[in-house]
Amino acid sequence: MIPKHGDRSAAFLPEAALIAALVAGFFVLPFIGGSADLFGRILIWGLFGLGFDLLFGYTGLLSFGQAAFYGTGGYVSAWLLTTHAIGSVWLALAFGTLAAGVWGVLIGWLALRRVGIYFAMITLAFGQISFFLENSPLAAWTGGENGLPGVPVPRIGFGAGSFAITSGWRMDTLVAAFFLVGFALARRIVHSPFGAVLRAIKDNADRTAALGHAVGRYKLAVFVIAALYAGLAGGLLGVFQSYMPPEAFSLDTSGQLVAQTVIGGVGTLVGPLLGGAVWLYLEQNLQRIPGVGGLWKFLLGLIFVLLITLFRRGIAGSLRAFWRRTRIGRPDSLAGRGPATLESTLPSLPPHPPLPSLPLAAPAVRSAGAPALEARGLSKNFGGIRAVQNVSLTVERGTVQAVIGPNGAGKTTLFKMLHGEVTPSAGDVLFFGQRITGLGVTGACQAGIGKSYQVNQLFSTLTVRENVRVAALARSLGAFRPALFGAATAIPKVERQVEAVLATVGLEGRADLLPGTLAYGEKRRLEIGLSLAAGPHVLLLDEPLAGMSPEERVATKRLIARLGEQSTLVIVEHDMDAVFELAQRISVLANGVLLAQGTPADIQNDPAVQEAYLGGLHAHEPVGG
Amino acid sequence: MPGLPLLLAQAFNGLALGSLLALSASGLTITLGTLGVLNFAHGALFMLGAYAVFVVLGHTDSLLLAVVLGGGFMILVGLVFERVVIRLYYDRPAEDQILVTFGLGILIVEGVRFIFGGLSQRVPLPSWGQGIVSLGFMIYPKYRLEVIGIVAIALFALYVVLYRTRIGLVVRAGIEDTMMVNMLGINVRRTFMLVFAMGVLAAGFAGMVYAPLVSVDPDMGGPFLAESFVVVVIGGLGSFPGAVAGGLIAGEIISLTSAFNPDYSYVMLYAVMALLLVVQPRGLFGPEGRA
Amino acid sequence: MKNRQSSGLGRRSVLAAGLAAGGGLGLPLFFPGLAEAASYPPLGNFPAGVAGDSAFIGITPPLTGAYSADGKDHALGYQLAIAQINAGGAIPAAWGLKGKGVLGKTLRYKIADSELKPNVAVQAQTQFIEQDHAIMITGCVSSATAIALEELAQRMKVLNMVGCSGSNDTTSKDCQRYGFRSQPSAHMAATALGPVVAKALGSNRKVAYLVPDYTYGFSVFDSFSNATKKYGWTTTSKQVVPVGAADYSSALINIANSGADIFCNIAFGNDAVASCKQADQFGVLKKMKLVVPNISAFQAQELGAKIMSGVYGTFDFWWTLEDRYPLAKTFVETFDAANKYRPSWGAHIAYMQTYVWAVAVERAGTFYPVEVIKTLEASKADPFDSTLGKVWYRAEDHQMVRPVPVVQGKMPADMKTKDDYFNILEMVPGEQVINPLTDLMGCKLGTYT
Repeated sequence: MIPKHGDRSAAFLPEAALIAALVAGFFVLPFIGGSADLFGRILIWGLFGLGFDLLFGYTGLLSFGQAAFYGTGGYVSAWLLTTHAIGSVWLALAFGTLAAGVWGVLIGWLALRRVGIYFAMITLAFGQISFFLENSPLAAWTGGENGLPGVPVPRIGFGAGSFAITSGWRMDTLVAAFFLVGFALARRIVHSPFGAVLRAIKDNADRTAALGHAVGRYKLAVFVIAALYAGLAGGLLGVFQSYMPPEAFSLDTSGQLVAQTVIGGVGTLVGPLLGGAVWLYLEQNLQRIPGVGGLWKFLLGLIFVLLITLFRRGIAGSLRAFWRRTRIGRPDSLAGRGPATLESTLPSLPPHPPLPSLPLAAPAVRSAGAPALEARGLSKNFGGIRAVQNVSLTVERGTVQAVIGPNGAGKTTLFKMLHGEVTPSAGDVLFFGQRITGLGVTGACQAGIGKSYQVNQLFSTLTVRENVRVAALARSLGAFRPALFGAATAIPKVERQVEAVLATVGLEGRADLLPGTLAYGEKRRLEIGLSLAAGPHVLLLDEPLAGMSPEERVATKRLIARLGEQSTLVIVEHDMDAVFELAQRISVLANGVLLAQGTPADIQNDPAVQEAYLGGLHAHEPVGG
Repeated sequence: MPGLPLLLAQAFNGLALGSLLALSASGLTITLGTLGVLNFAHGALFMLGAYAVFVVLGHTDSLLLAVVLGGGFMILVGLVFERVVIRLYYDRPAEDQILVTFGLGILIVEGVRFIFGGLSQRVPLPSWGQGIVSLGFMIYPKYRLEVIGIVAIALFALYVVLYRTRIGLVVRAGIEDTMMVNMLGINVRRTFMLVFAMGVLAAGFAGMVYAPLVSVDPDMGGPFLAESFVVVVIGGLGSFPGAVAGGLIAGEIISLTSAFNPDYSYVMLYAVMALLLVVQPRGLFGPEGRA
Repeated sequence: MKNRQSSGLGRRSVLAAGLAAGGGLGLPLFFPGLAEAASYPPLGNFPAGVAGDSAFIGITPPLTGAYSADGKDHALGYQLAIAQINAGGAIPAAWGLKGKGVLGKTLRYKIADSELKPNVAVQAQTQFIEQDHAIMITGCVSSATAIALEELAQRMKVLNMVGCSGSNDTTSKDCQRYGFRSQPSAHMAATALGPVVAKALGSNRKVAYLVPDYTYGFSVFDSFSNATKKYGWTTTSKQVVPVGAADYSSALINIANSGADIFCNIAFGNDAVASCKQADQFGVLKKMKLVVPNISAFQAQELGAKIMSGVYGTFDFWWTLEDRYPLAKTFVETFDAANKYRPSWGAHIAYMQTYVWAVAVERAGTFYPVEVIKTLEASKADPFDSTLGKVWYRAEDHQMVRPVPVVQGKMPADMKTKDDYFNILEMVPGEQVINPLTDLMGCKLGTYT
């Protein structure tokens, strides 16, 4: 059993360890060529990096423009203080952070319209825009190349009794305090439901969306969070050295943040701090070694390249992986057990045992009399290709319907339209009488349609249990909720849902393993479990039996049969035996057109269907034979 | 309001700048489209080309020879990089590729700084490029005019390779569907090496042509990198015509804005990019559905 | 009650004075190091930084970036001055120093590359102050860095002898009690240059400016356009370009079309070289006369005599001044011997100010910052002997009052040696061109402690 994060004693262990490490570092540093000033700067980069790690390490969004927010926060605070518009440093920092957040909303909204490489390029460009704005048009406020000197130090207390936080150990303690609070917050976010969704997005953004999470909004939220961290760090920089430099906006700054995070370890939260320590320490001390001098940056670059190529996880990441290997090395979940099949986990149940009911389900539907799912005149054209032409079918509630047809018939496209992945060129999709055309996958899933994919779309970096939890969370949280606090594992209904689903697909014994270690059949069952965990009223299964061994096939057919008793199912399959066994109605598609519809018996005897599948078989038979 | 002669002059100047950006962005977009690698070392390679020419011109007077030798050097660099580093990254997520090319960029810049020092170097104008030409509405440096011509030839050569040769066909197919090309039994690995080298050559060639115009120093590639990215975003990912069109448009935006206020010329470029992102995210010629 | 108190105080104070006098006189005989420590309270890195037998100087020139050529030159100047001071002998004695080092203490130093970024310089100097207990910080080739370091110096109470900085702001809007600047301000340079070019090039001229986008650029533009206004010179075009820009074609096309007959190029360092080169390519130099209010260290070498001939400008220092001032001659000769080339003005500022600071410390008899500052501020009454003759600092804004060399580029045929690029037309006395006390341009010096 993984220790729950509600465990009091373990809850603050990382923070306590961090405090101890910081105190030790502060005292040791002067002896090994560091100083109080270096210590403080490392912490500021660490704070800057906390937000970036949430963005890149946990959500997979590589931004090369974080300097835009670092600079914005820093300059707004510095400007407010140096023009005496605000007297309190604390208030100025708050305003600076807020300003960075606002800028983050704007840039995020534009940049997140793209993903991956495009996103990286665009953030770089926006970082450059911010740099130019600071340098030229806004130079009257920002001091242009000069920067803003004369930022006052903060004071604690009021009036005559207050004391100033001057440079040295006092300022370092202040910065360390900010970092610790930032770290504690970030850690909470990582373990929250919000954090769970972020990690799912990093792993497989499309599937996360298909499970009912509004991925775009989550991305924007974490982007803004990263901007807020950056803004606070920038403000602290100005206060720390009484001077706000224009380089805060430069591409170099954004690049250095990325490099430091990678060196220290992406996705560890302390990675940026460690990487910053390495970078700044080497920068300072290598320069003083004669002969090395100007090469310090080259050496750092070399270290960076070697680390990405060889030790992908960076320093902290490698340490954590090593730690985990020694801990989870005990294979108690595997020892002495054979592969878990439905048969072995439920040996004594009657042939058709009732399924555990799901605590969380899609919202109840109003017009219960309408067919569960209806396609009206659906068409889809891809350029000149008409993949689906004017297909209409209805699926009655509580039935199992199959869609079959030869390859290239348009079944996948039809399914995608039903599920909202693809917008029809014409026609409508109705869900219990409600028009859901064009809602998109997330909307469709929230409405109550789930789909299990032909090619497994699992979260490979999450355990089986965590996989299912992501799906269940979509039902619990809705399309988007910034549930930043509270543990992801601590919502009772969600946990019960997860247990129920795991029991249904027979994977309880595998719950804490990664999908990569599962057998293929188990992976397929997890795939089905994912779509089930969102509590859908209608479940679309795309070739659920694909690639399975005969044994696995039997077990999965039983699962599907049992599912069919509780929900409405639509299945695409090539295994005709399974189709005729499971389905109550069959629709046949060929060349994008609905060829026939009816009961299994009708279809078996339909000559047009035989023609489509076997292609002119009878044409070659001797007449009268 | 600047007068017509000035606007014409700036518009013309925009061609020179735009053609360089077009060439540079072409290299970037081909590498990006085919290999899926966003080359963050692009600016550094641009600078490397300039230094290659500088080195050769220290020993000979012929810019032509310098470009040929420099070009050979850039191809070699491209092949080595692809073989030694980039190849390890094809199966890794896009972000890792960005990171490693970013690191390579740092190595190139700092290595050059160490060898040549931080001082800017002068690359002399070729004898056939000296002097000015009167164009009626303005006088213009002869060499800049020639640059437009040289780049046009280079772009044409690139076009011929991409659209009229077998290798070009493989490259364009690879941009569309890499897995399919692989399955067709074509030696994709070798093609990738050549494509990467092509991209590096394009960047380096732009640097070589650009060197006599400005002073050459290790940091000259930085702004160029950002601008090339913007051009690719405007033109569309993986699209050669997009890179050309985007480059020319970008050059015009920068030049025409500077007729009014040079301070805003680059901000305007980025503002146009932002607008495009809102209205037409895939760029002018980019592939559909790349959200 | 009152009487008793006052007499009590009186007795006590006499006793205290007596003890102090006795202690002040007697103790140093037995404990020489106590002389300073006993007299002055701790401030900044005093007395900790000079408790031993050395004093530390932190130096941050830009060794990389757009101004790296001037930066390297600048660093060499510091190294030469410090080596000479530490060695003692005739050369430092000619400046007025006694024995080896300063007040008997050897000068130690470290040089850190500021990369032309104020932030990096601030970081490096903070380290020097905190770790090495620097008693003086110096070195920069950018007004942005200068201003940031002045701020740092004021905050940390460590003296900053400003390196190369031409902006007016360094001794006006951003002046600091702990900062002193020797280079002519933009105002001084422009006021010196203005009459010379007006006489040579005529009145009522139209000028096109190329201005780097930061404090220094704007300073020079303001000062020069103001200084030439009374001769009827007007501004037809003002092109602002970022520092480190590579391509000036857009700005130069605007300038070429502006109808001006004077091209005033305020860009500096690499930017000056690049923009002048490109101006030549665009035919701007054929149409207009080139004026460079503040010529960069190696501009002439890099551009060549052909472009620079006939160009009017000012310098902080040019090596042919060796013929006028003996200390300059020693400087140029020893620098040439050590580094195989004649020093430019970056090296000169480093060399000259380090010596002036050393002399000021010895005059004050202590490293205590307040005393050294006061000595420098009082230098009007007792100017320093220097490579430029008699110089002194103005107490009101800490700008050094010194002559401004106005120069003109020589024709290639007239050059006697390979670096004989310039003719010194005039040495304009500083008093004539410095901004009057009635217009300190917003300088408010900070506190002493």
